[in-house]
Amino acid sequence: MAETQLAILFTSIALVVIGLYAAIFVDNIIKKIIGISFIEEGANLFIVGIGYKAGGIVPILMPNMDPAWFASNASYPLPYGLVLTSIVIGASTLAVMLALVMVLYRKYGTLSTSVMLADTSKQEEYNE
Amino acid sequence: MNELIPLMVIVPMMAALLLSAFSKYDKLIRILAFVVAICLPIIPIVSNYGLHFFGGYEPMVDNVTNILYHPAITYSFDFMQQCFIAMIGLLTFLVVFIYLSKYKKVSGPYLFLLFMGTSAATALILTDDIFHMFVFFEILALAQVGIVAASSIEYSYEMALKYMILGAIGSPMMLLGIGFLLAMTGTVNVTDIVAILRGGLLNVTSPVFLLSLGLIFFGWLYASGLPPFHTIKSGIYSKAEPHAAALLQSFTVISMISIVIIMFRIYSSLPIFEVFIVLFSVIAMILGVSMALTQTDFRRMIGFLAVGELGFIGLGIGLGTQFALTAGLFQALNEIVITALLFIGFGAIVHSTNEVDTRKLGGLLAYHPKVGIMLLIGGLAMAGVPPLNGFQSKLMLVQASLSCGYPELSILTIMVSIATFVVFVKTFYSMFLRPKPHDLEVADKEVPKAMVFTMLILLIVIFALGLFPNVVTSGISNYVGGLLL
Repeated sequence: MAETQLAILFTSIALVVIGLYAAIFVDNIIKKIIGISFIEEGANLFIVGIGYKAGGIVPILMPNMDPAWFASNASYPLPYGLVLTSIVIGASTLAVMLALVMVLYRKYGTLSTSVMLADTSKQEEYNE
Repeated sequence: MNELIPLMVIVPMMAALLLSAFSKYDKLIRILAFVVAICLPIIPIVSNYGLHFFGGYEPMVDNVTNILYHPAITYSFDFMQQCFIAMIGLLTFLVVFIYLSKYKKVSGPYLFLLFMGTSAATALILTDDIFHMFVFFEILALAQVGIVAASSIEYSYEMALKYMILGAIGSPMMLLGIGFLLAMTGTVNVTDIVAILRGGLLNVTSPVFLLSLGLIFFGWLYASGLPPFHTIKSGIYSKAEPHAAALLQSFTVISMISIVIIMFRIYSSLPIFEVFIVLFSVIAMILGVSMALTQTDFRRMIGFLAVGELGFIGLGIGLGTQFALTAGLFQALNEIVITALLFIGFGAIVHSTNEVDTRKLGGLLAYHPKVGIMLLIGGLAMAGVPPLNGFQSKLMLVQASLSCGYPELSILTIMVSIATFVVFVKTFYSMFLRPKPHDLEVADKEVPKAMVFTMLILLIVIFALGLFPNVVTSGISNYVGGLLL
């Protein structure tokens, strides 16, 4: 495995672990969402690393290229296509989460998850 | 006629986009939503079985490995997919019909979410590509969150955010699992991955392969609402409008079976896979029914019962034989219909009383006898009382457990069915049979005709599947036989 690929692997593992810590243990909802983005980006980086080829060229076949030479020198394009889609999905998820946080911040006046997302059934009983 | 296969996804998706774009024109979106909703169950029925290769890229043989590779996203349409897509289409039509007849002014974005969810669920069950599955799994989760947040029920935003946060952890885990599979096989097409495994080109005992199973399995638990995600799943059902909850639970069932079938095809050579599926299914069965027993909110009670029923599906799939898999998939089809009937029926009670607490209800049989009787039949079907469809699938599951050499699982199946019966009878008594509490106000208004019509249609399906199970099980059995080859 190329050194760059190893570096990518370790960076993505670090991103996922840091993100998991933030998503599970941090109370502030914005920090929690940043942690979630870390996990997503860690997964994306890992997939990008799969397609990496040391000294490889951009996987676009130009008219003057020999297909056999291109096949042996180009990076693997499939992971890049997948990551592009994954980034778009991640952005949509992030937007919806932040929109929900905005609504709940207006309602509760705090970004604390323990206040905002306390067990809804308990809240209902308390209100009664 | 294979061109109709992608249309099953494209038609609801285009409709969703148009409904959102023209949301200002009430009459137009009503007509559009109704017409498209009618088409949804018809397209899978008239379509021929087969494969669809996007972009027209046919499979090609790899000169080195001699394996047939699929360069394009592939949709596979067989009898099993036909049954589930037609059922989802029928349910979407009925839910849209209820929504259109309930409100004087309809919301384009809300209809967008309903149709987008249907489109995503259809794509999930059709696709033969594991990354494509992930994409639509995410779209489906977003649509589900939107449907919950759009309801006027208190704390729906909180529940939607909770569901999103858990999903935002579960989904990247699944993506990482897919990434590991891609790293090992170089493809995301499930048929290709299976061919590589069968060709002995991949070591199935390698830690990376096991890690990919663990990560995808975690995502599957989230998608299915199996433990530890069972409380959040029943929570989102209780915070959605009842007709929307009927559709949400069907999305959950579709997510569950489509992901587990893909996992089964890839990982069934590992004995640990089937053990894990059975283990989590048994936990779901026990937790679902025992937590349902303690609920006083009947929407939440059905939510937990639905989670328990998911355990039955998982049990059939985990046992792994042709008969057990058929029983599991038949149970999935039955659960979609039965739970939808229960959610819509109880929605009618909410409409009439504005009350969801079973302790505050009573004597409703005198006010709404038709709804009461139809709900009773639905509850009996869920509990597995003959000759209803739930009985047929649960009987098959008991037989499958016995034939696989696990009599304890068959006893557990029967016991959970009895507990389901007790939960339902208790709730039914509280709501319909005991004397009406003095402070309960029952509105004079009739239950909406659209709701009664929907329940009637679902009831017909319940009886039809109960009396003629072979119509479905023989086709599913053939499909499963193909999977096991």
